[in-house]
Amino acid sequence: MQKYEKLDKIGEGTYGTVFKAKNRETLEIVALKRVRLDDDDEGVPSSALREICLLKELKHKNIVRLYDVLHSDKKLVLVFEHCDQDLKKYFDSLNGEIDPNVVKSFMYQLLRGLAFCHSHNVLHRDLKPQNLLINKNGELKLADFGLARAFGIPVKCYSAEVVTLWYRPPDVLFGAKLYTTSIDMWSAGCIFAELANAGRPLFPGSDVDDQLKRIFKLLGTPTDETWPNMTTLPDFKPMPMYQPNMTLVQVVPKSTTKMRDLLQRLLVCNPSHRISAEQAMSHIYFADINLLPK
Amino acid sequence: MAGNFWQSSHYQQWILDKQDLVRERQLDLQILSEEEYQKIGIFFSNFIQILGEQLKLKQQVIATATVYFKRFYARNSLKSIDPLLLSPTCVFLASKVEEFGVISNSRLITTCQTVLKNKLNYAYTQEFPYRTNHILECEFYLLENLDCCLIVFQPYRPLLQLVQDIGQHEDQLLALAWRVVNDSLRTDLSLLYPPYQIAIGCLQIACVIMQKDLKSWFAELNVDIDKIQEISRYIINLFELWKSYDEKKDIQGLLNKMPKPKLQPTR
Repeated sequence: MQKYEKLDKIGEGTYGTVFKAKNRETLEIVALKRVRLDDDDEGVPSSALREICLLKELKHKNIVRLYDVLHSDKKLVLVFEHCDQDLKKYFDSLNGEIDPNVVKSFMYQLLRGLAFCHSHNVLHRDLKPQNLLINKNGELKLADFGLARAFGIPVKCYSAEVVTLWYRPPDVLFGAKLYTTSIDMWSAGCIFAELANAGRPLFPGSDVDDQLKRIFKLLGTPTDETWPNMTTLPDFKPMPMYQPNMTLVQVVPKSTTKMRDLLQRLLVCNPSHRISAEQAMSHIYFADINLLPK
Repeated sequence: MAGNFWQSSHYQQWILDKQDLVRERQLDLQILSEEEYQKIGIFFSNFIQILGEQLKLKQQVIATATVYFKRFYARNSLKSIDPLLLSPTCVFLASKVEEFGVISNSRLITTCQTVLKNKLNYAYTQEFPYRTNHILECEFYLLENLDCCLIVFQPYRPLLQLVQDIGQHEDQLLALAWRVVNDSLRTDLSLLYPPYQIAIGCLQIACVIMQKDLKSWFAELNVDIDKIQEISRYIINLFELWKSYDEKKDIQGLLNKMPKPKLQPTR
C-alpha cells in the first residue's frame, strides 16, 4: 500500500469506498477501491470476486482496467485505471446542451465495450450513467462489474433485482429470470436517449408499476402478437393497453431520423427483437463516426 | 466466459511448462521423491473432492477448486501453507467464483471436521485444526498467488461436444470419459495442457477401456496427436500408481515427511 498516496475520496461503490490515489513511483493517478469485509463469514465478497475475475479476462479500451489487487492485513484493495468523471457528473456539467458528435462518440464506445463483453459471454446487468466513466480524451469506459456475470450453458436463473429501475427492461420488470445480452441493450437504449437529451433520463420511474407504465406509454403496451411469451413471465400483471401516443421525436426532440431509428431498435419490449451491440455498431447512424480525440 | 480460451488468463498465464513445474518444486523435491509428491497431491485432490461432494457442490466447482490448489503449489512449496488448510480455502473461493453461492464458513469447517474424522481418519488422527479466521486469511494469499486469475476452463464442456459429435446413444462412453476427466484432476494435466486436449485424451482412454474403435473419428480431429499421447500417458501413469499403492497404509508416513509451515495453528 506504500506504493500509493491516497488523495480524495471519489465515492461509494457497490462494495466499498473508492479513492483517488497516486502511484509514488510512476506518479500515475489511479482509483483505489477498498473492499469492505464486513460479513465475517463470507470472506472476500462475491460481488468483488466477480468484478476481479471478469476484469482479469476483459481487456479492452472501453472497459475500465484493473491494474492490481493488493492485500494488506485485513483489507483488499483493487487498483483501477482512473477516469476523471462518470457520465452522470458529466451530464451535471452540461447545462442542458450537448454536442451531437459527443453523443455519437459516447454511444459508439458504449456499444463497442458491450459488444466486447457480450462476445466474451459477460453481461454487465447494471448499466447506468454512474457506471460509465469518461476521461479527458473523451474516452468512455464501462465500469462497476459487481453485478456482472459470465453466462454460458447450462443457463440457470440469475437473481432478480439487479438493474437500477430506470434502465431496467420490461422483461426484467416482469420478473424474467433468464437474462441475455438483451438486458444491456435496453439499458444502452435508455442511456442513448439520455445522452441525446443532455442528461434528462428517459424513464425515471418511481416503482416497478410506474416504470412499466412510462415505458408502455411511449412504446405502446405489448400484445400477444408483438411479445408472445410476455404473459408467462413470473411477475407479469396485466397493464393498461396504451397505444403509442407519443413519438420518439417528442421525447428526444433534438434527434435525427437515423438516431431515432437506432433508438427504436434498442427500445423494443420483446427482448428477442432487440438489436445486438454488434449490429447496433454498424447502424447507419454511425456511418460518419468520428471518435473524438479532444 | 466460455468460448474464449485463447484470450483467457487461463491460457495466457496458467498453461505452464513441464520444466518450469519441476524447477518450482525443487525445494519440495529435495525432501520428497516425485512419486511421493504426486501421492500427496492425489490425497488432497481426494480431500477436495470429498469435501465438495459432502457440500453438494457441482463437479465444475470441485474441479475449479482442485485447479486453484494445483496452481498455488505450482508456485509455492508445500511448506508455505498447510495443504490441509489450503484445500477447504480453494473450495470456499471456487464456490463463490462459480456462483454456487457462498458456503457458510462454519458449515465448511464442520464438514472438514466430519470428513477428517469419518473418511480420512487413516491419515489424520487429530481433529481438523483450522477455524474461520484461518480460512479467511488463507483466501487472501490464495487470491494473490493466483494473481486473481479465477476463471478456469475445464474439460467437461469440450468433452460433451466431442461425444455429441461421435453420435447419439453414447451415454456410456460419456459417463466413463467424464470419470476419466475427474481422475485427470489428480495429475498435473490441468497445469500443462488446454482443457479441450485433456478432454480428447480422456475420451481416448475411455475408448480403450470400452474397446471401442473410433480411430477414424480421432484421425479427423484437428489436433496435435503427440500432445494427446502425452496426456494419455499421464493418465495411464496415474492408474498404475493407484494400482501399486495403498494410500490407507502409506499416507500417514508421507504426511509426516511432508515439508510443513513453521507455525502450526494453536487452538
